[in-house]
Amino acid sequence: MDVRALRRFRKNRGALVGAALVAFVVTTAALGPLLAPHAPDAQFPDALDRVTGLPVGAGGRYLLGADQLGRDVLSRMLHGGQTSLLVALGATFLALVTGLSIGLLAGYLGGPVDTLSMRSIDVLLSLPFLLVAIVINRVVDSPSLLVLCGLLGGLSWMTLARITRAKTMQVRELEFVQAARALGMSQARIVTRHVLPNVVQPAIILGTTLVAQMIVAESAMSFLGLGVRPPAATWGTMLSDGVSMLSYKPLLMYLPGGMIALTVFGFNLLGEGLRDALDPKV
Amino acid sequence: MRSTRRSDALALLCALALPCALAACSDPRSGPRFAGAHGDDAAPQRGGTFVFHHESDVRGFDPHVAFDELSNMGIKLLFDGLLDYDHELHLVPRLATALPEVSADGRAFTFHLRHDVRFHHGRELVAEDIRWSLERMLSPATASPGVSYFAQLEGLDDYTAGRAPHVRGIEVLDRYTIRFSLREPDQTFLNAIAMPFAAPVPRERYGPDAVEIARHPVGTGPYILEDWEPGIRVTFRRNPRYWQPGKPYADRLIYELNLQRETAFMRFLAGDLDHVHRMTPADRLFLGQSAAWASYRELKPDADLWGLEMNTELPPFDNVHVRRAVGFVIDRERWSLARNRALAPLGQALPAGFAGHDPQLPEAQVRDLARAKEEMRLAGHPDGLPEPVTLWIGEGPTGKAYGELAQANLAEIGIRVELKPVSFPIYLRETGRPRTAQMVFGGWSQDFPDPATFFDPLFHSRAATPTDSTNRSFFKNSTLDALLNRARSERDAARRTAMYREANALVTREAPWAFAFSNIRLEAWQPYVHGYRIHLVWSNCFRDVWLDLPRRRLAQRFAPRPGVPAALLPFGGAR
Repeated sequence: MDVRALRRFRKNRGALVGAALVAFVVTTAALGPLLAPHAPDAQFPDALDRVTGLPVGAGGRYLLGADQLGRDVLSRMLHGGQTSLLVALGATFLALVTGLSIGLLAGYLGGPVDTLSMRSIDVLLSLPFLLVAIVINRVVDSPSLLVLCGLLGGLSWMTLARITRAKTMQVRELEFVQAARALGMSQARIVTRHVLPNVVQPAIILGTTLVAQMIVAESAMSFLGLGVRPPAATWGTMLSDGVSMLSYKPLLMYLPGGMIALTVFGFNLLGEGLRDALDPKV
Repeated sequence: MRSTRRSDALALLCALALPCALAACSDPRSGPRFAGAHGDDAAPQRGGTFVFHHESDVRGFDPHVAFDELSNMGIKLLFDGLLDYDHELHLVPRLATALPEVSADGRAFTFHLRHDVRFHHGRELVAEDIRWSLERMLSPATASPGVSYFAQLEGLDDYTAGRAPHVRGIEVLDRYTIRFSLREPDQTFLNAIAMPFAAPVPRERYGPDAVEIARHPVGTGPYILEDWEPGIRVTFRRNPRYWQPGKPYADRLIYELNLQRETAFMRFLAGDLDHVHRMTPADRLFLGQSAAWASYRELKPDADLWGLEMNTELPPFDNVHVRRAVGFVIDRERWSLARNRALAPLGQALPAGFAGHDPQLPEAQVRDLARAKEEMRLAGHPDGLPEPVTLWIGEGPTGKAYGELAQANLAEIGIRVELKPVSFPIYLRETGRPRTAQMVFGGWSQDFPDPATFFDPLFHSRAATPTDSTNRSFFKNSTLDALLNRARSERDAARRTAMYREANALVTREAPWAFAFSNIRLEAWQPYVHGYRIHLVWSNCFRDVWLDLPRRRLAQRFAPRPGVPAALLPFGGAR
């Protein structure tokens, strides 16, 4: 980011709020397991009411209360945040790498490579995301973290590939690329040294908003029971576990739901701030 | 561009705030909307529509094929059997004039049919229909899961192998008399006759060239199927030719399908459903504690058995010590607490109330961590198992909760558990296959009030079959088999009870299951609904309900639903 862009970013209050939110969420997620007072899947007998079996509320030994099996909510939130964020970042990274490479190749090489990849994208984009995710999840049968990352990332690189392709086609015709070609530079070197740095901006912006989308998608999958394996927690599984207690212990839904909302909000603000800073024409 | 972005952010904030605001101002829980109805002693009234529900989809209404709670809720409306149970679970005659005459050797049963019974399409029911229907069910072409209940019928093998056109043990003596003969006495044969598998159907509608029997069922029951929107609802209307004078009472019964527990409970509180059964633990807790609903609910221990079924053919559960260790480490009290007391802890193979259940059983599985660790040591695994075991659970929050409870308990003796949530059809298919599922969280509900209803399908080696095995622990024990066979034909009640107590002790000691609990059922109905009680054999049998209509109309007139246009309500809000 050059100095002018940085200045534009610092002037944008929304972007700063977004950056602060993201910093907060990422820090707690990174340090979460160290900060957690209890093991996330330990079930404590004294965390359930002896008569009704209702979990204890916030305060006391369990700072944010317990869930319906007597587990510490704060510890689960901290561990769950790490898992949720890891999945989202992993999936986004995969989507970025795939989208950028395919977009670059299609845009730079053109011809049959371009046609083939663009038509494949058309097909992939026409598939409903959640449906495909559910089908693949059923086939794979053991939803590990890696599978989940692959699944989410593998289904969300298409938009980025299209944007990168369009940008690459512009850059390919510019004078400095033609000069490099005339000087006899290899195609691989031209793409990595000259084209890539000029098309990477939209990827950064899109990537930031993609993280937000991935968090929501992971939560949706976990909510449907297709996410990580129990007893591991993510915000999505906590949200889904909390539904049955909504009328008695709404906090069990509001806490993970609130964190998901805050994180998504933060990443979206950050993404928009970056776009304003890097690409003032838009 | 900027301004729109700012408004986006604003919209998002509003979206975040909305659910919180809604939650703050509306308490979904409330008392009955139509309180103050007559007591049950008032004379039954005719008319009205009664609406009930289930959380899944119904498969079909062929009484000879269906073997699940959902289908049976409809089958009990459409079909009648020769025998029935009253609310105390005694056998009573229904299409028969009386309980059958039993021969001295206990092998022949003669039934006399009522003369006033007609099928839905108008034809009279005769003894030949009983025979034809039973033979249809027993025929291999029907592939009925009910055949094993009639295994003692004389000549059944010849019939199923195609060597005889009829079952020798079913004889039509005259137009209204039929006799069943058995190879050996079977104390559960009359229970089998009372099951929907033996319900009569008319031959002219169920022949080989009949079309869509499942969609157009014809029986002798109090209701006729009027309409079926798959996955949405089934409508039943009153059978005008029903043989019991004045019955049934309600004009229509509507069976709403695929209603989620939370949704169903909300709709019940709003007065859209007339009856509610399965609920989330929290809704259950509210209903059980609410004074306003006290007169319109029933709490009853169910006759079912739940626990961890361990495959005795697969390691590590081929070792009885590992199985016993699991039986001793399950903390049944804690499970009950985590499910808000919706279950009764159980540490033996028979639920309370069955002959052979013993509250003081010395072999009973109880929580005892020291004994569990000792059993693990005897098994040669003092430090736990090196490999994790896979526990199959039904998908959804209930299976997951029990899976996580089991995970925490088994971790205490060093057994790591991986959960495998699968959909219900896959669960049934895969867990009923030999050497497939290591450990299964599952249960069994009674088909009839007799201990054989648990032992024979769950622990007899005959029930360990290559496909669709009901003996999902694949437990095979020749001593137990012999004991169960003798108990089944024993005619002396005291000796029979002693045999089942011995079987109970044997199974509990061998621990093919870690027995965990029986459910406690809680159901509720609207104040204007009468004539319904929990029936432990026919779960949710609505054939005798009646509605206190004038009071209901009054209640509706003075309590309009605020803000919801009638067009959005089912059936335009009208009944």
